[in-house]
Amino acid sequence: MIGRKRLSPTMRPLGRIRAYARFLAAAFAVNVKSTLEYRVNFLLQFFGMMLNNAAFAAFWVVLIARTGNVGGYGFSDVMLVWAFVSTSFGLAHIVFGNVRQLGRIIMEGGLDVYLLQPKDVWINALASKTIVSAWGDFAYGFIVLAMTTGADPERWALFVALVIPGALIFAATFAAAESLAFFIGNSSAISSALTEFMLSFSLYPEGIYGSGMRWMLYTIVPSGFVAFMPLRIFKALDWRLAPVLFLIAVAYVWLSYALFNMGLRRYESGNRMDARV
Amino acid sequence: MRSLRRGSRVYAVAASTAMREKLAYPGNFAGSMFTYALFVFIFSRVWAGAYSGTTEIAGYTMRMSVWYFIVAEVPSFGFGRFFWTLSRDMKSGQVAYLLVRPYDFIRYNFAEKFGGSLVEACVILAEGLAVGLMLVGPPPATASAMAAMTRPLFLAASLLMAGTLNYLLQMTIAMTAFWFEENEAFFWIFQKFSLVVGTLMPIEFLPRAAARIAVWTPFPYLSYAPARIAVAFSFSDALSLLARQALWIAVALWLARIVFASGSRRLSVNGG
Repeated sequence: MIGRKRLSPTMRPLGRIRAYARFLAAAFAVNVKSTLEYRVNFLLQFFGMMLNNAAFAAFWVVLIARTGNVGGYGFSDVMLVWAFVSTSFGLAHIVFGNVRQLGRIIMEGGLDVYLLQPKDVWINALASKTIVSAWGDFAYGFIVLAMTTGADPERWALFVALVIPGALIFAATFAAAESLAFFIGNSSAISSALTEFMLSFSLYPEGIYGSGMRWMLYTIVPSGFVAFMPLRIFKALDWRLAPVLFLIAVAYVWLSYALFNMGLRRYESGNRMDARV
Repeated sequence: MRSLRRGSRVYAVAASTAMREKLAYPGNFAGSMFTYALFVFIFSRVWAGAYSGTTEIAGYTMRMSVWYFIVAEVPSFGFGRFFWTLSRDMKSGQVAYLLVRPYDFIRYNFAEKFGGSLVEACVILAEGLAVGLMLVGPPPATASAMAAMTRPLFLAASLLMAGTLNYLLQMTIAMTAFWFEENEAFFWIFQKFSLVVGTLMPIEFLPRAAARIAVWTPFPYLSYAPARIAVAFSFSDALSLLARQALWIAVALWLARIVFASGSRRLSVNGG
């Protein structure tokens, strides 16, 4: 603490947020550098992921040309859903690249290295890696946005405001499923199932699911909050609902964080020697 | 004659070993089975939404479209991932161990990879039949009892040919590793074309000009052919589809052999 200004009790939370924002920015910068180390691989994965997403666009353009709409969604609605989901999903995996490796890290005793460091274990573990192909997903949403809504700055600002809580919800949900490894050991089946569910349900029109399923899309598989609700807010250009989505994201993050910390008490060191380079 | 029989035995043993290996770990099917069931369920909902204002799209009813998807996804799930192991073997140098052995590189790999995948394809097909029956009832009826009896045979033949064609095309793409270290992009392009041209929906759904071009490419014969036989069976159509699949297998085999002959000359093996 020598030479450091002590924060007043009311300033401490703000100071901590700033410190973690700096930490996330530093982790992000290191991850970007390591990604760009293999440029060909980066470009391949980047364009490969965009191509993957574009293949489904071809499917929808053909189908909706024949039917007019599917489940109440026209072509631009489906494309916007894809934009929200791919950019949120991409952002979650760029910033929190370990989010779908967390269970393996827990199982193999790999948390030791994070426990010894002076940052929060959960944030540190999640942010210490980036997924290269996620950049393709991230960019795809913006390309779709440019193609469907043009260069309207208000729409772009709202899009960004809506994908941030979407990314937090994706990361929190995946991290919660992976944290089950503390309680049940190998949780890979549950977490892959949840990933498949969340992505698959998010990418198709909400109207095709019966009312009996909708409750699930706004609770344990929160596709509704990363795809359908952002679409409704975006189409209505209703800024008032954006903070609601942020509050929902905070609730998911809090639950996921609480589950992780509850599990962390049961964690046993693997006595593993690791070095983070 | 005896050497030919002995030669074929090598491939049969490779295939049966791969099959037994797959069957030894039945839990490994769970992931594909789960994803397949989820896809079928979601697409049954997509088709329900698409058919909400109409009974027929491009000659297909909703039940036909759902069954089409169920069968078209079988080759994707069963035979759609040869590339990754083949390409990895080429890049890691594992290929050097196979090249010095006294058997045909392409045939041996076919026996080994296809054998294992056949088990997975059968599991997925059985699951698809069960899921389809639950979601939309039995597959569309055929015109006669004779057609109903022979349809499964044509379907099985078409699925096997779709798997063979899938292997040969993926093998050819994997062998581009002799020239390019990063060859995944070629596979992704191939995979996406096969997804759009005949897997997610029948080629009759495509705009007329696109459908006319598509039939001259190998993509419809990877998924469309067996799925079409399953939902709109007629002897003449089925025979024509099988003939076209056989033709594309011959072309793909020729292509694979040319790429192998040219690429293997570039291989340099160091160390032991």
